Amino acid sequence: MRTRKWYLVAVTALSILAARGLYADFRAGYYTPAGPETIHQTLPSAVSTDATYDAGQYPIYYPELAAGDGKDEVENNCELCHSPRYITMQPVMAAQAWSDEVNKMRKTYGASIPDDTAQKIIQYLGTHYTPETRKR
Amino acid sequence: MGDFKLGLTRRRLLKTLGAASATMAAAQILGEPNAAGQEPSTQQPAPEFTGPGANPYWTSPGQFATYPQKVPLILLTDRPVQLETPRQYFLSTFTPNHAFFVRWHLQTIPNAVDLKEWRLRVEGNVERPLALSFPELVARFKSVSVAAVNQCSGNSRSRLQPRVAGGQWGNGAMGNAQWTGVKLREILDAAGVKSGSVQVQFEGLDKGLGPKGFGSNRFMKSLDLTNPVLDECLVAYAMNGEPLPMLNGFPARLIVPGYFATYWLKSLSSIRVLDAPDDNFWMKAAYRIPDTPRGTTTPENMKSGKIATVPIARMPVRSFLISPDGSTKIPAGFPLRLRGIAFSGYGGIKKVEVSIDNGANWSEAHLQQDAGEYSFRTWSLDWTPKTAGRYQLAIRATDAKGNIQPDEGVWNPGGYLWNKIERQEIVVGDAS
Repeated sequence: MRTRKWYLVAVTALSILAARGLYADFRAGYYTPAGPETIHQTLPSAVSTDATYDAGQYPIYYPELAAGDGKDEVENNCELCHSPRYITMQPVMAAQAWSDEVNKMRKTYGASIPDDTAQKIIQYLGTHYTPETRKR
Repeated sequence: MGDFKLGLTRRRLLKTLGAASATMAAAQILGEPNAAGQEPSTQQPAPEFTGPGANPYWTSPGQFATYPQKVPLILLTDRPVQLETPRQYFLSTFTPNHAFFVRWHLQTIPNAVDLKEWRLRVEGNVERPLALSFPELVARFKSVSVAAVNQCSGNSRSRLQPRVAGGQWGNGAMGNAQWTGVKLREILDAAGVKSGSVQVQFEGLDKGLGPKGFGSNRFMKSLDLTNPVLDECLVAYAMNGEPLPMLNGFPARLIVPGYFATYWLKSLSSIRVLDAPDDNFWMKAAYRIPDTPRGTTTPENMKSGKIATVPIARMPVRSFLISPDGSTKIPAGFPLRLRGIAFSGYGGIKKVEVSIDNGANWSEAHLQQDAGEYSFRTWSLDWTPKTAGRYQLAIRATDAKGNIQPDEGVWNPGGYLWNKIERQEIVVGDAS
């Protein structure tokens, strides 16, 4: 008899919980597509016990440069010393600031870029990477 | 017997309940979520942001990239490598090696080091030039440790207005580690600094493709021999008790406690005593700050040519809220624990204060583990927001010298020395 009483109390309580569950407001089951990401796994067998400590090669993440006149000149000159991410990473800058940057590369860092090529690079950067023109 | 029966019944009941809930959920998700009505409760991929305004995010809004010996970090550039540490890794006093930020200047950086060949040369104006092997470096001198923050001079550069060119770091170009190695002073004494020497120059294994004599060819930094920081410098071969990751300067790097990271030469290969001031590009032209209070000026003043500059040195006091980070809505009445870090290059943190009303009123936070005056100091403060609303939290620290974080930014052409009071909006929702 006592057992039955507790049974009823329990069922009642759970019924209330169940009802609350039914009317609880929640959203579920949404997923969205994402790109592949990889984690580097350790392969101990690939490492020898000699005195060479090798981290392997560093990956290149090549950015998409804006299409247009001067892109070839950027690829053939700027990319000798650094990745084009040095362009895409920068904040948007006025054409004059880009001109200053290219001249800094030539005068301060000694990049041997001929005048006419430098002008094309300046034109390209000042066309695609300003506050008004940068696409992304 | 009764209990057994109850168990069965209860299980059946829950099963039914589960099925009903699933049906209910399915009914609710017919149709796309309403853009206006749905609030994101977790972090969203940050849209690209390149200005001209200040970067609104805690870190640079770039993509993740996976590098050797590293967890995915935020990619700034891939050649040379510049990687930023995500905010979540700053909850602890020490930043894990695998998450520690990376910044190199020249494109030809070490992938591998053969310790049979590697030598740390002590040369220039010394009595006894040395070429220390790795075992000699470890065994010949006394081993010492220091907890010290390594912060890029340009950390938070993306906050400056107007924006300046350079690595567009958010706040994650910093880290704290327990560095173990030997005292630079002991090495210098072993080599015997000749009288008439003025500076000591450091160079690592990195090389550039630019022409000789230009900063694009070699990266070198120097410190005055009269600078007291030399007595605190280490040549560290261990970072948080482990070998340094290749990208953080294996097999040894210079530690300059309290100073910006530009002096902390990685993959150190040469310690050169100079009898004349270093006039290489990285001392004479780069990493210089206006010789003004806080190193701040304006583009107009810089253009006038009247602003004298000096080499960058110690790090001004900074503090950060790490958690909560604003990505999650907090229910009213929830007992929050605010957690963060603070540090100063001027010797220790005296006080961290938190404001929940955008700086109008301040409460002192609890300072945690003291790992030394040049370390991150973690702090916490319990706060239970009573009512729903948008709270503008502000965090400020005071260091041992009494320097307090200001509520104004800085501007200089290099984008250095940012230490404005940080803010974080926390959204509190109704709980009933």
